[in-house]
Amino acid sequence: MVTAGAARPRPRRRRAAFIAGPHVLLVPAAIALAAVSVYPLAYGIVASLRQYRYGLDMGFAGADNYLNVLQDATFLTALGTTAKYVVLCVLIETLLGLGLALLVNRQLVGTGLWRIGIILPMTVAPVVVGVMWRLIYASDIGIADPVLGLLGVHGVHVLGGESSAFLGVVLLDVWEWTPLMFLILLAGLQTIPQEPLEAAVMDGASALRVFFDHVLPMLRPVLFVAIVLRTIDALGTFDQVYVLTRGGPGVSTQLFSIYAYNTAFLFTQEGRAMAMVVLLLAAVLVLAGIAIRLVRLGPGTR
Amino acid sequence: MAHKEEDVKSESILSRQLSRRSVLKAGLAGAAGLSVAPFLDACSTFSSSSSSGSTNKIVIGTFQDNAMVPFRDVFVKRFQSETGIKVQYNETNYDAWYQNSKNDGLHKTGAYDIYVMDDNWVPEFAAGKVIQSLDKLGFKVNPDILANGLNQGYWPPKTGAKMKAFANAQPELYAIVIIDDVEILYYNKQYFDGAPKTWDDIAQAAQSKSKPPSLYGWSARGVKGNPIVQTYLPLLNSYGGNFVNQDWSPGFAGPEGVAALERLFSFIPYMPSGSAEFDTDQEVQVLLQGQCMALTEYTGLTHQVDDPAASKVSGQINMAATPSQEKSGPAIGTFICGIASGAPNPQGAKKFLEWFTSSPVQIDFAKTNGSAAVTGSALTDKTISSQYRWLPAIADAVNNSVAKPHTPDEPKFEDILGTRLNEALVQALSKKSGYRSIASQKLTQAANEITAYLKQQGGYF
Repeated sequence: MVTAGAARPRPRRRRAAFIAGPHVLLVPAAIALAAVSVYPLAYGIVASLRQYRYGLDMGFAGADNYLNVLQDATFLTALGTTAKYVVLCVLIETLLGLGLALLVNRQLVGTGLWRIGIILPMTVAPVVVGVMWRLIYASDIGIADPVLGLLGVHGVHVLGGESSAFLGVVLLDVWEWTPLMFLILLAGLQTIPQEPLEAAVMDGASALRVFFDHVLPMLRPVLFVAIVLRTIDALGTFDQVYVLTRGGPGVSTQLFSIYAYNTAFLFTQEGRAMAMVVLLLAAVLVLAGIAIRLVRLGPGTR
Repeated sequence: MAHKEEDVKSESILSRQLSRRSVLKAGLAGAAGLSVAPFLDACSTFSSSSSSGSTNKIVIGTFQDNAMVPFRDVFVKRFQSETGIKVQYNETNYDAWYQNSKNDGLHKTGAYDIYVMDDNWVPEFAAGKVIQSLDKLGFKVNPDILANGLNQGYWPPKTGAKMKAFANAQPELYAIVIIDDVEILYYNKQYFDGAPKTWDDIAQAAQSKSKPPSLYGWSARGVKGNPIVQTYLPLLNSYGGNFVNQDWSPGFAGPEGVAALERLFSFIPYMPSGSAEFDTDQEVQVLLQGQCMALTEYTGLTHQVDDPAASKVSGQINMAATPSQEKSGPAIGTFICGIASGAPNPQGAKKFLEWFTSSPVQIDFAKTNGSAAVTGSALTDKTISSQYRWLPAIADAVNNSVAKPHTPDEPKFEDILGTRLNEALVQALSKKSGYRSIASQKLTQAANEITAYLKQQGGYF
């Protein structure tokens, strides 16, 4: 006897198909992800364990590339410069971005225009930014030297001195990436409920107290995300600094990324360059892990 | 009713579009497409590149440079019309071309027959078999080609220090010079009685005639890396120093090297104060604007000095070999051609290079805008020289030139020395005294770093 129920799949098969279905659907995406992301990463790690010379793969090198990199004084200097650069840039950009976000969040006259004006630098390609600031800083045709002269600072060529070039590179980064911090923090500010703030004001809290006791704790998760994103991005800064100074004068602006690039493409030490990149990747992962943990533990997330 | 039918129809279309099976099918087809696309792309590239395997076609790849314009616009076309062999000419920027050519040669892709290279690529490209031996292809070298230019194409090198692995190997010609680019002295004849022979002559003229910032006595490239090394090498060579000695020990940290750097620093009162950030464009501008008495630069500048659109002192700049102290020793940096290891048409490529480096063609090359030809007969031809006054200076400079170390690690040497030279210049510009101590300290630091790097690399000592 054929019943209507017999024509339908058995419940166990249906359940198996139900469980397997989404996984099967994920296969194309997984293949694509593996092809464009996992494979290059795995290839890079393998390359960091091999020795290259004359463009040829000379065989397994064990940990030699890592040991050589860690004994390379120029690499360690580049790491130090990068750390200094990242801390300074992210700190200034966070403070400026937060300040600007607080201002624009107050719905001043022409808020839309302010917003567009502030985010404009972020939309310019980093290479173009590098060329632009090179023209500004150039000692022969730039406007930086005459402006500094008007302020009573004479004889400073921004790109001609080690400290001034470093500060010049930081200023460029601040100009270009403060808008990103501004944008993220403004979005964060706009999600904060107004009731607790209004209640605090009614209770007689000053503006500073409202900010530190209410706004900042509620903004904390967004602030952390913004700082982590910007830190990871700043660690990989390359284009604009390469165009502006090529890492000079001396090694004063030689960031990690510039040294790794030179090691791979100028000195043709591909294995050693990959070891540098893997070390940086490990550092970024640790940093991101710590930041995520801090966000999870933070009071703003309760 | 009609509406109902339409609704049922559209519902069935919708259900057909969104059924799991169809989504799965589309997904798998998409994934298959994604995974196959690169291979298809590679196959199409391969088939188009292998079409250059015809004996009637060669493909030349090069980096963009103004010095290559006559080669591209006049001589490639002339070769085509004279031989019937079609030439495809692909150019890109320097860095990209270095990578492209290296990858093409290493993997024998066969996309190119001829690579136009910078001479310092030759050690890596020859040792790594990116290019093939011209000797083995039966290449006939024109004996009229100046020896110092020709020697840039040998691996292992004919002269200078050799890496241990290649110490006993017979030098073979892997690349042939096509443009003798070399550093020469450019001086504004208004301020000199004839060509200055020594660095002292230039220093004296700078001291007595320059009036910075309206007129500088000297201009130089001071940016770290290759630019400042190019400034320093003619000084180092002329004071009797070496970049590296025969045993690979750095030869610039001794008294000769220190004296050469001190000489450069002695020009500081007569140089633009921002020289530590100067690259070619800024260095050259002060000369072309009539604000500088002299400088050393490669031959590419010859095409600008008489161009009224580019120069305010058109016709006033003369050229000579770089000044001597113990001797003249300009740096050489030729444009040089190799035949790709996977060249589809190596015989066609060989024919082109033999044709272009032949004496009659080189004479015509020199006649085209005074290009830096590679043969003695072209560079010293009196008729051509009367029109292009820099050609004898180029011949003189090539004959006295000192090659950079022949090793794939040369860019690293240059980076180390160039970084420390730049630091020394920054210090000297700010302190304006203690030049000898600054020079000695920074050159010793560079020498120690290069020695440490060579030991780490192995194959040198």
